[in-house]
Parts: sequence; C-alpha cells; structure tokens
Amino acid sequence: MNATRTSPRSSSWFRPLAATFVTGVFFLPLYVVLVNVFKPGSEITPHPVGVPIPPSFTSIHEVLTRSDHLFWYGLINSVEVTAISITVLTVVSAMLGHYLARSTGRWAKGALAIMLCGLMIPSTVILQPVTEVLRSLGLMNTIPGLVLANIGYYVPFGVFVFMGFVKTIPLELEEAAALDGAGRFRIFWSVVFPLLRPASASVLVFLGVWIWNDFLNPLIILGPANGTTVTVGIYRAIGEHQSDFGTVFALMFLATLPILVFYLAFQKHFVKGLTGGATKG
Amino acid sequence: MSATLARPAGAGPSKAGPGPSKTGRGTRPPRGGRRVTKALHFLTFGAPGMIVYLLLVLVPIAMTVRAGFTNRNPANPPTHWVGLRNYRDLLHDPAFTGALRNTLIVTVIVTVAANVLGLFIAQLLDRSGWLYNALRSVFFTPVVLSSVVVSVMWQAILSDDGLLASALRGLGVEDPPGWLSDPDLALYSVAFIITWQVLGFCVVVYLAGLAAVSTELLEAAEMDGAGRLSRFRHVTWPMLAPAVTINTVMLLITGFKTYDQIQVITNGGPGSGTTSTIAFEVVQTTFTGNHIGYGSAMATLMLMIIAAISVVALRFLQRREVTQ
Repeated sequence: MNATRTSPRSSSWFRPLAATFVTGVFFLPLYVVLVNVFKPGSEITPHPVGVPIPPSFTSIHEVLTRSDHLFWYGLINSVEVTAISITVLTVVSAMLGHYLARSTGRWAKGALAIMLCGLMIPSTVILQPVTEVLRSLGLMNTIPGLVLANIGYYVPFGVFVFMGFVKTIPLELEEAAALDGAGRFRIFWSVVFPLLRPASASVLVFLGVWIWNDFLNPLIILGPANGTTVTVGIYRAIGEHQSDFGTVFALMFLATLPILVFYLAFQKHFVKGLTGGATKG
Repeated sequence: MSATLARPAGAGPSKAGPGPSKTGRGTRPPRGGRRVTKALHFLTFGAPGMIVYLLLVLVPIAMTVRAGFTNRNPANPPTHWVGLRNYRDLLHDPAFTGALRNTLIVTVIVTVAANVLGLFIAQLLDRSGWLYNALRSVFFTPVVLSSVVVSVMWQAILSDDGLLASALRGLGVEDPPGWLSDPDLALYSVAFIITWQVLGFCVVVYLAGLAAVSTELLEAAEMDGAGRLSRFRHVTWPMLAPAVTINTVMLLITGFKTYDQIQVITNGGPGSGTTSTIAFEVVQTTFTGNHIGYGSAMATLMLMIIAAISVVALRFLQRREVTQ
C-alpha cells in the first residue's frame, strides 16, 4: 500500500487528526467531571459539557466545610496510611530484594518463587483471614493494622522491582566496600541503596498510587467506627447524595489531587527505574 | 535492631563485621562465626519482609483453604469438617455459577477489547512531537485514578438519571437505554468501564514495545516491497510479543479480580446477581452472609483458577515469543 515516504501529503493530516479525535473521545468522561467540579450543582444536568466561566467554587467549598469533616479526616488517614506504608515497604523490600538477589542457595530461590506468587493473589481471597490475624494481634480497626496488611500484600511487588535492579549493580562494588571494612549495613545504605534510586522511585510511585486508591482493604480493616480514607469516603458519600453530582465530583477531584501531584513529581524517575531494571537485568 | 548490635560479638573477625576489622581481612573466619554472620544477615535483611508476608499473606491463604473444608459460620456454631461438601454445593449454586459466568464474560471482553484498542491507539500515537507527547499523557491519566473514582464517574454518566441519559433526552430521545439498570446491558457496561480504566496501561506497554521495534528492519521490509499490513504482520507483531504477554496476563488477572466496580456501581444487580463476579460473591458470602466456610471454598476455587490462568497464559505466550 502507500508507504509513508511516497505519499506524505495524504497521511500528514490524517494521523494527528485521528489521534486527537480518539484521545478526545477517551478523555470526554474525565472532561465532564472536571468542568462540573467548578459549576453550581443546579447547572450540571442542564449543561453537562459547558465550560464553567466564571468558575464556581461552591461544590469544593461545600466538601471542604462538611460538618462531619469527611474529607479532612479521610485525607489525614490516607496520608498517614500511604506515607507510612510506602516508606516501610521501600526499605523492607529493597533489603529483602537485595538479600534474595545476592543469595545463591537453593532455599533462597524457593523463597523468591513463593514471594513472587504473591504478585497475582487477589486481596479478596485472603481478606477474611487477614482480619482474623489482625484481630489476634490487636490491630484490627487500626491504622497500624492496615499498614501491616499493606506491607504483607505489596512486598512481593517491591521485591520484584528491586531484584531486577540489584542485578545491574556490579558485585565488585560491594566486595570493594567490604574489603575497606564496611559492614553489611554500611554497604547497603552507603553503596547499594543510593544506586537503587530509580527502582525506589518506581516502587514509591506505584505503591503510593495503589495504596491511596485502595478500596476494599481500608473499608473492611479500618471499619466504619474509626474513620476512613478519602477513597472510601467517596463511596460513603455517594450513598448520601445520589444525584448531587456537584459535591460528589468535587470530592473525587479533591481526593485525587494529592496523589496526582505525587505521581507527577516522581513520574520522571520511575519510567527510567522500570526499564533500567528490565533491559539490563 | 538488637540483632545488629549483637553482631560483632558473635561474628568475630568476619570481613562483614563493622568497624576496624581490617586485621581479619584475608584470613578465613571460623566456620561457626560464618554461620552466625549468615543467620544475622538473614535476620536483618531477609526476615522482616518475609515474616510480614508469611503472617499476612501465606498464613491467610492456608486459613482460607482450611476453612473451605468446614461449615464455619460465626452466627451458627459449632464448626466441623464437611469434607468436599462446600465444593459440591458450589457447582450446583446458581449464585456461584452465575458469578463465574459473569466473571468470564467480563474477563474475555476486557482482555480482547483493551488489547485490540490499546495496540491500535499505540500505533496511532507512536510518533514524536509535542502533540503526541500530550496525547500520550492523557491516556495514562486513568492509571492514577482509583477504581472508586472511575466507577462513580461512569455511574454519574450512565445511570438512569445520569448525564448521558439527560443529554439524550434533551436531544429528543424518548427512552434512553438503561445502561446500568437493564439486566441485559449492565454487565457489558461494567466491562466497558473496566476496559476504559485499563486502556491507558495497555497503550503505555504497547508504546514501549513499539519503541523497541527496529526501524531498520521496517525500512528494509518496505524496500523489499512489503505493504503496510504485511510489515505489521511479519515485523512489528512478532517483535511486540513481550508486550502482548504482559498486557494479556495483566488483563486476564485484572478481569478475574473484578470487585470494586461491582460493589460501587451495581451491587451485583440489577435483579439478582446479573453483574455479580466471583470476588464480589466471595466478599458477600464471607462478610455480609457470615458463611465463612462456604465463602472460603469459593475463594480457594478463585485462587486456583487465577493460578491456572497465569501459568497457562505465561507458558503459551512465552512459547510464541520463542518461536516467532
């Protein structure tokens, strides 16, 4: 058929146009939510796709000043759970990934295989016994309990990413540090961990997004009595005002904003992290 | 931490010991000391992650499998072994077989649609320049969104008094379809919503795959007179095999796990169980219905099916990667 070089004219306008159109169709639902965050609730159903000029902040104001503080309490819980979980997960899985990547024994390979099976286990399958384990530890309905469940569930992913990356670090580097008298902790923290920065960025971004957005685990583990995360808060809020799109959209917008900013801040590093480990490993 | 502090005493002059242990350099540490060092290395580096994983993933799996052979129900003690009765009952339980059917339909639609659309869109966006950069980031946005946000967004658009229905009524459509309220449509609407949500991920994976396709090879094929279709069939497609593997396995597992969208949008309805999935049925049975034994049997089956899918899909797709 017509090759791109021989018929530049016919295809030069077609591709950008088609690409823009397809992306526009894909983006339409998000556009609808975005413009309607900045409209008073009564304006939404009559003009769902109209651009809000001037923007109205009544819906956002309403969410921020709710008498039950659903948004603010949820935000505090989400930040706490996500920040603690991903910090601990990054350290723990970097150390475990390093340990398993450098262990040559047969049992280390077995441990790795069992660990990687965890990548495909749905949380719905284990949630009920997880609540029992947490209850027996006295951590059910607490934030530390949710953090612990997150660590167990996501450590395979962290190990998977770090393992691939540790293999790209020459073993000689660690041996040289050992000869200079550095202990295992010194070697890990001063030599290995700084080199793992791209992998750490990917783990932080992916787990940050997943844990922030998690729905069923916080719903069940935190329970109704001890507040919720912002994500569960959206679910609670739709029960109350079914057709009040303005406040629901505003709540979704405010709940997504922090993780979106976090994602954009780390985005540059994490693509490098994933491919770096994959191509050289 | 206490293990770390105790290490030098037990480790002796091992080369891994901290501090001025240069005297030990080159000399072999005694066997016992070496074993202690190894054990301490495991305790500090390996153990923390493994213990939490053991306690909050492996032990719960064992508990689920075990409970599946009992009639456990906190509201109706005592608990005793029932052998395979739960599994026999499951096969004749329309709630379960219906959920299995729904899950398979969603999984197949999502896997096929997201793969096909993802590859098509990635081909379309596989150019450089500011426009394509911008369009690519648009496609990746839903990856950052919670499935609760995605579900509520589509519910606001597709429900009977939602934005699409009122827009259609404004255009003179008398009776817009009940995307989420019609028992024959709701499941397909859910599959559509999940496809939309995962599409961005597929596009990104395919774009990465396309970037690895060598332009020299494509140009050589073009010189030899290969048309656009045969260039895709014989050059691009075989080189995309790893991307196809990643996407297909990811989509199969995502489809099979479907829970959030059902819980938020349809709650299994309209009617009884028209959109319920296995994961939804598991949570309903164990948490809402308190039938922990029966629900655990269901969960065990689900785990086995997912393990089978992963193994078969990986084997099959990797063979394609090797042979082509």
